[in-house]
Amino acid sequence: MAKKSKGYKDTKLEEKLKDRYFRTSESHPDFLEKVEEISKTIPHMCYQCGTCTGSCPSAPRSSYRIRYFVRRAVLGLEEEQLTDPDLWLCTTCYSCTDRCPRDIAPTDVIMACRNLAYQRGIVPVNFLKTVQAIYSSGHGVPNNDANRAARKRLGLTADPPTTHMYPEYIKGIQKILDHYKIKEQADKIVAEAEKK
Amino acid sequence: MVDITSEKNPRIGVFVCHCGTNIAGSIDVKDVVEYAKTLPNVVHAEDYQYVCSTPGQKKIEDAIKEKNLTGTVVAACSPRLHEPTFRRATQEGGLNPYRFEMANIREQNSWVHMHEKEEATAKAKDAVRIAVAKASLLQDLKPKFVDVEPAALVVGAGVAGMQAALDLANAGIKTYLIEKNPTIGGRMSQLDKTFPTLDCSQCILTPKMVEVGRNENIELMTYSEVEEVDGFIGNFSVKIRKKARGVLTPDEAEAKGIVGGGCNGCGDCEAVCPVIKPNPFEMGMKPRKAIYIYHPQVVPLIYTVDFDSCIKCGLCQTACGEKKAIDLEMQDEFVDLKVGTVVLALGYDIFPVEKKTEWGYKQFDNVVTSLEFERLICASGPTGGHLIRPSDGATPKRIGFVLCAGSRDNTGIGKPYCSRFCCMYSLKHAHQIIEKIPGAVPYIFYMDIRSFGKMYEEFYYRIQDEGAKFIRGRVSNILEDPATKNLHVYAEDTLLGRPVDVELDMVVLAAAVQPSAETEKTRRLFGVSCSQDGWLLEAHPKLNPCGTTTAGVYVAGVCQGPKDIPDTVAQAEGAASAASIPIHLGKVELEPYFAQCIEEKCAGCGMCVNLCPYQALSLVEKDGRKVMQVTEAKCKGCGTCGAYCPGGAIWMQHFTTPQIIAQIDAFLVGGEQ
Repeated sequence: MAKKSKGYKDTKLEEKLKDRYFRTSESHPDFLEKVEEISKTIPHMCYQCGTCTGSCPSAPRSSYRIRYFVRRAVLGLEEEQLTDPDLWLCTTCYSCTDRCPRDIAPTDVIMACRNLAYQRGIVPVNFLKTVQAIYSSGHGVPNNDANRAARKRLGLTADPPTTHMYPEYIKGIQKILDHYKIKEQADKIVAEAEKK
Repeated sequence: MVDITSEKNPRIGVFVCHCGTNIAGSIDVKDVVEYAKTLPNVVHAEDYQYVCSTPGQKKIEDAIKEKNLTGTVVAACSPRLHEPTFRRATQEGGLNPYRFEMANIREQNSWVHMHEKEEATAKAKDAVRIAVAKASLLQDLKPKFVDVEPAALVVGAGVAGMQAALDLANAGIKTYLIEKNPTIGGRMSQLDKTFPTLDCSQCILTPKMVEVGRNENIELMTYSEVEEVDGFIGNFSVKIRKKARGVLTPDEAEAKGIVGGGCNGCGDCEAVCPVIKPNPFEMGMKPRKAIYIYHPQVVPLIYTVDFDSCIKCGLCQTACGEKKAIDLEMQDEFVDLKVGTVVLALGYDIFPVEKKTEWGYKQFDNVVTSLEFERLICASGPTGGHLIRPSDGATPKRIGFVLCAGSRDNTGIGKPYCSRFCCMYSLKHAHQIIEKIPGAVPYIFYMDIRSFGKMYEEFYYRIQDEGAKFIRGRVSNILEDPATKNLHVYAEDTLLGRPVDVELDMVVLAAAVQPSAETEKTRRLFGVSCSQDGWLLEAHPKLNPCGTTTAGVYVAGVCQGPKDIPDTVAQAEGAASAASIPIHLGKVELEPYFAQCIEEKCAGCGMCVNLCPYQALSLVEKDGRKVMQVTEAKCKGCGTCGAYCPGGAIWMQHFTTPQIIAQIDAFLVGGEQ
């Protein structure tokens, strides 16, 4: 893969490198507004100091640069923002939010963009598996045997006092997810991804 | 006696200003003029491009003479800007200058309703109608004059206060210079070198300090604070607390009859003093005794006893011997001063940068502030000018400079403003380590380099050329390697778009600045306003940058907002010039807006006396009964007393009840009087 891109044989990359100018036609004028409405934060106040990326535990290990996401939100680069797979690399640890000198919550910008991406069906499948896990068990990461053994060793009940202990409440969780059509949307995206 | 008769047949002239497109761009000026012509008492109305220009003013003068006007109205900008101009024009036309009324159709109308031309024009008509209603009832008023005490007070003897005091003194004015510390010189004396010329700071400051100490017109009062302030422009009474310094000056000793006594700065006392305290001048990095001087160049060269730490063992008194300079029972003294004008030069403090915990200041030994760095690199500092790491005394080779450490920070922990000189001194620091330490590399973590002054950008080029590494990114975190005490500095190089982890020997934080601890108390004593950040507020940032809203009180230096040495000195010269004007004139004119008491109506209830925010009113005996009396120089014409007075005995000049009622009527009934 790496060799290929060096020779510029990767068609997708070639497409990307063809034009690297920012043109105002790429900008969706209401994207920033949508992001601000959902995130309740002020990315337009960003002065691009990079404290967010500098604080980020993902940044040294991946291509994820939170500063880019704040910048793209400000410029209204909706397509680029929502289709960037890096959007899903944030661990939502909130270090950037703690340290941002402009009192912006970059994490919440990411969360808002994830919301918008989800509405458009752009979500990595493994994230949707989480939705399905919550739907069936009430947990994003359901309990397993290793955990059960460890809990017992520590003098705890094998299952925590959640839906694991009270499975009758799973119905309620399913009702909420159904109400917002989250399961429906997740199933749809997973099905489409599997078709490909 | 108050003249309450108003003009029988008022003849008003109205002048509507275009102010270029400022007004004419969003108001139909011609329409407003036509409307003004229909108003009662208006005998003349015209518009002009710039009424404040010479031909514009001439139009006012001519109209007064030709149309025999009794009052003028100009609909233009803010009275703060041009009321004096139009008053003068009214006077030139032969009327009393207070026969003028202004309608602000720019700041309060065209600017705020830029895109609503029709509504703005209607509002302009309202404003003109209201102004005409008042102008019809205006009276001749005579300004009052008060004498000015021929002396000035300068509070704070840093470089701003020293410059202001020298300028005032050299203009022949008796000047009192008050300084809270035992020596003058302020922050500048703590600096090693100054950018961009790299002069030794002390070398250019010390001659000024000596000059201040020697000038015949300057009465220097160090280790003193302002305790109470009373009075008004021209006549301030100020009580000064001279803190007990425990040491007699030669003059004080002579007054006590000790021949040839008093402190000569020999230092015999310091040598024997057993108490050791950190020296705040050296940012706590060098010890000092309980009897001390900050540094060898102090002015005046007099020792001071720190009574908070002195154990009164008396060893210093024995060492002092025949000079008998030390008096460990000394008490604070109070001195009353009468001055005409005041310059405040209260200086600044460093923001407590440990509040931003991510940079590890006060947690890690090798993270220091820029002011500490100044002392560490200074030849007269605690290390004799050898820059060392605080952790192990080694010479650092890789040094990081963290700019905007607490500045440009909206989180509520730091300061939202730019501290303005940190970029430049950090460039200077980078130069100093390259110069002093072979092979040293400075890493400058910056967001923007603000090198805005004369020769500053060139200085930036020079430091770049010398090999400093500039990383555009704010430092997000600093961690210490516990074994080596080296520091890992994390940031994003925003130009590479890549996170960086730089291992450095030492980090210097360019901390934000904030008003000095005494600023709040002192500004309240003088009734000076401050901005949201606590910096003293100038009367107008462009038109009156050295004045304050309190007449006769001026500001200089960083207490008004962060500024570097050239700007500080320039403003100090401006403040001194402004403060010298009333003193040289010998008297100041007071606007005749003060309240008047109609004694026949006054019941002497005294309620107004307590309500007055300026202590301008008092009750006096007259013809066997008590009546209110106004100290006209103190009255600001706020109207609090007049609005309250149950008997209607208080008459506000230029804002009389009939005038205000006429304005309200004019607004409500829409021109049909």
